[in-house]
Amino acid sequence: MGCHGECKEDEKGAALKKIALIGNPNVGKSVIFGLLTGKYVTVSNYPGTTVEVSSGNVNIGGTRLLLVDTPGVNSLLPMSEDERVTRDILLSDRPSLVVQVGDSKNLKRTLVITAQLAEMGLPVVLTLNMEDEARDRGITVDKEGLSRELGIHVAGTVAPERKGIKELGQAILETPKKPALSVDYGPVLEEYASKIAGLLPKSGISRRSVSLMVLAGDESLKRWLKANMDDASIAALDAFREECVQKLGKSAGLVINEARLKKASQLVSVFMKKAPEEENRLMNFIAKISTHPVWGIPVLFAVLYGIYEFVGVFGAGVMVNFMEKVIFGQYLNPMFTAVIDKLIPVPIIQELLIGKYGVITMALTYSIAIVLPITATFFIAFAILEDSGYLPRLAVMSNRIFNVMGLSGKAVLPMVLGLGCGTMAVMTTRILESRRDRLIATFLLALAIPCSAQLGVILGMLASLSGRAMIIWVLTVLLILVAGGWLAARVLPGKRSEFFLEIPPFRRPQPSNVILKTMSRSVWYLKEAVPLFILGTLILFALDKLSLLVLIEKACRPVVVGLLGLPQQTTEAFIIGFLRRDYGAAGLFAMFQKGLMTPAQALVSLVTITVFIPCLASFFIIIKERGMKTAISMIAIITPLAIVIGAALNWFLSWSGFRV
Amino acid sequence: MEENTPEKVCKPRVAPEAEKTQFEDEALEGLWELIEKNGENKVSPGLLNEEMGEPQASDLMAESGLITVTDGKVAFTESGRVRARDIIRRHRLAERLFADVLDLNNYEQDACRFEHAISSEVEEAICTLLGHPPTCPHGRPIPRGNCCRLYTRKITPLVSALSDSGVGGEFKVVFLRTPMIDRLASIGLVTGSTIKLLQKRPSYVLKIDETTIAIDEDVAKGIFVKENEGQKD
Ligand SMILES: Nc1nc2c(ncn2[C@@H]2O[C@H](COP(=O)(O)OP(=O)(O)OP(=O)(O)O)[C@@H](O)[C@H]2O)c(=O)[nH]1
Ligand SMILES: [Mg+2]
Ligand SMILES: [Zn+2]
Ligand SMILES: [Zn+2]
Repeated sequence: MGCHGECKEDEKGAALKKIALIGNPNVGKSVIFGLLTGKYVTVSNYPGTTVEVSSGNVNIGGTRLLLVDTPGVNSLLPMSEDERVTRDILLSDRPSLVVQVGDSKNLKRTLVITAQLAEMGLPVVLTLNMEDEARDRGITVDKEGLSRELGIHVAGTVAPERKGIKELGQAILETPKKPALSVDYGPVLEEYASKIAGLLPKSGISRRSVSLMVLAGDESLKRWLKANMDDASIAALDAFREECVQKLGKSAGLVINEARLKKASQLVSVFMKKAPEEENRLMNFIAKISTHPVWGIPVLFAVLYGIYEFVGVFGAGVMVNFMEKVIFGQYLNPMFTAVIDKLIPVPIIQELLIGKYGVITMALTYSIAIVLPITATFFIAFAILEDSGYLPRLAVMSNRIFNVMGLSGKAVLPMVLGLGCGTMAVMTTRILESRRDRLIATFLLALAIPCSAQLGVILGMLASLSGRAMIIWVLTVLLILVAGGWLAARVLPGKRSEFFLEIPPFRRPQPSNVILKTMSRSVWYLKEAVPLFILGTLILFALDKLSLLVLIEKACRPVVVGLLGLPQQTTEAFIIGFLRRDYGAAGLFAMFQKGLMTPAQALVSLVTITVFIPCLASFFIIIKERGMKTAISMIAIITPLAIVIGAALNWFLSWSGFRV
Repeated sequence: MEENTPEKVCKPRVAPEAEKTQFEDEALEGLWELIEKNGENKVSPGLLNEEMGEPQASDLMAESGLITVTDGKVAFTESGRVRARDIIRRHRLAERLFADVLDLNNYEQDACRFEHAISSEVEEAICTLLGHPPTCPHGRPIPRGNCCRLYTRKITPLVSALSDSGVGGEFKVVFLRTPMIDRLASIGLVTGSTIKLLQKRPSYVLKIDETTIAIDEDVAKGIFVKENEGQKD
């Protein structure tokens, strides 16, 4: 989210010097990127926010540079797709400088990355961010000493307060310096590292660092090696690696990692001091109960209830009412009607703009009066949730449930993001370790995770139905998710990855970031949704004018009326639902408001549209990330499934005589 | 019980005249296992001779005063039983050490050599390290030693899996046996790190320096730790 259209791979600023922001996950790279370039990229409080590269221009005292924000890495031996993205930038893009962002309170992990950058032979400016949090924990780092030791500029920043950013900018302009930090990996590894280095082609980074990656058995490097070396050399290289592992008698990757950690620890013991920390009682308490096996559950319900009140009741109720009845109903629509009546006396055009299927009366009213207030309130609630650090804790709470679905708790992140927007969520599956996990998560996202707009519309409708309707909808959707995941896990070969997730500290959400994020997402929403809403309306208009709509509705009658037990007119909502599920949901909402559906019908239609095919934009992203074949198979499974589930629910409701 | 290499009586046998002590050790071990298998405290001499591949085995052992032959059956003498017990104990402790801590698969040969090589001090240290295990990897009982008796009331193993350790405790990582080893290393968790266990349910949460991570129980089972000194009691 917020990334759409902004993450264009590269703004070819051709001659501009390229500078890469590199660092551990969740240390503030994206905040710093935003401050230096003036361009907003998503900032959230969990590791794995940035999963794709974005670049922007920086102008420091007249010098123009190209800055690149990258996904966070714990090691430049990548262990997931997003980490690989970062390593590949260093490998192939030849940045002229790396700005390493580190977490002041985690100096050891920071220096492990510095050691790898040093090994690659890249010039580095290091900034120790989050100085505020380090101070609260009684941690001080001797930056001057460290700078002298490493021979590079070591800055200190508190990014959200803009502290130290100017100085960092100045440091970028200084002559680039390579860090003096070398790690000795012992005779065996050193011997083979130089043997392998002799075989390697030239790249953006030193041959020694690539050899160590090879020795550590980095699978993701294969593609690059294949592209840059002949088969004979690759075979020779594999032989060396085998030999080395034999001699070493243990995992080379581990030995390498341990050596780096040892070196980093030595530096930490010299340059870092820790005094007793001032405890933040409140934050500790919140952190503790949020993952408590018992209290964690009421906390979760409280969070859900808060979202429901804010989005379902305030957003979908109060705000939509205001926008639809007052702004559009009393001012805009009558005004447009009057103006258009006078200015354009051609009936067909009048109808196209303000008729039953009019661009203004339908497309704009739906998108701006119904969906926008709902998505905007949802985005606000969501941003607060993301920035607080609650989401990774939700993963701790729900790991077991995700295990049933063949996933680990880490999959909570893309799933919950899917409630914001399926497109970004599919990209976030990159943080999952295996291809299998990514596939299952993508399938579940396409299957039954409603996106924000749809969710908001649904919450709004359910809020005006009854508590029972809400429970049935939630249970049905959860059941579909669990059953879908369970089945997918049975069908797909392989074992689920073990759960491993870093939990960031709870942080007070920054109002400025919440507002910026909400704005950027809302703008993105308007840009992406409104054209499709208009397109959908035009299609309905054309179908209606050509009297095809009646025919289609007739043709779909056995399914819509027969199986699902819905009014014939809901066909329209499903047709536009092919373009965007939220548009379909908005159509249902409008019908429901007009009293055209019984509560039971509303419930069935909502469940069906929830499972209905993912919107066009997500579909394209699924093709991009998972391939055409997978994408089409998913649609082929999901669309009929939506109807089957809707029909089953309809049958169940009428059979049991359940009063919704 | 994990079945790696099938347990077998230690071989190759040495000729009785070549290495008297070692021959006696193997024969005692053989008799112990025969008795364990048959469930009676005596067996026929033929069985023992066959087991040892030495037709004179029973007679030689009787001469040394380690076994007695009564009513055509052999049984331990008191001194023989004590010695056999110690050897079996060392053999099986060695198996546990090789299988659990060192994660080896083919350890039988080494266990056989080990049993003769270690002093009783080392034996107790190993037993304590392993938490006074009651059985070997094949499920056979390990005879209790002095160290085990001291701990009968409070069996707190020196080294245990994180999944068997107490919440709130601070531990030193002794060794790691999990496929997640590289990921753990990438955030700084390696052998020798100090970690704090914050909670076990619904998932394990632990803290290392200023980093907090959540993991599965399966991963926690593969992190072996020792309680930090000064933290206990
Ligand atoms: N207290 C404090 N919080 C900070 C500081 N810098 C960043 N943050 C917060 O840390 C969180 C992570 O910031 P991001 O910029 O998204 O981190 P990132 O390095 O881009 O993270 P990934 O993209 O996931 O690798 C956000 O909630 C920020 O508000 C800082 O100096 N002090
Ligand atoms: Mg980021
Ligand atoms: Zn055994
Ligand atoms: Zn003992």
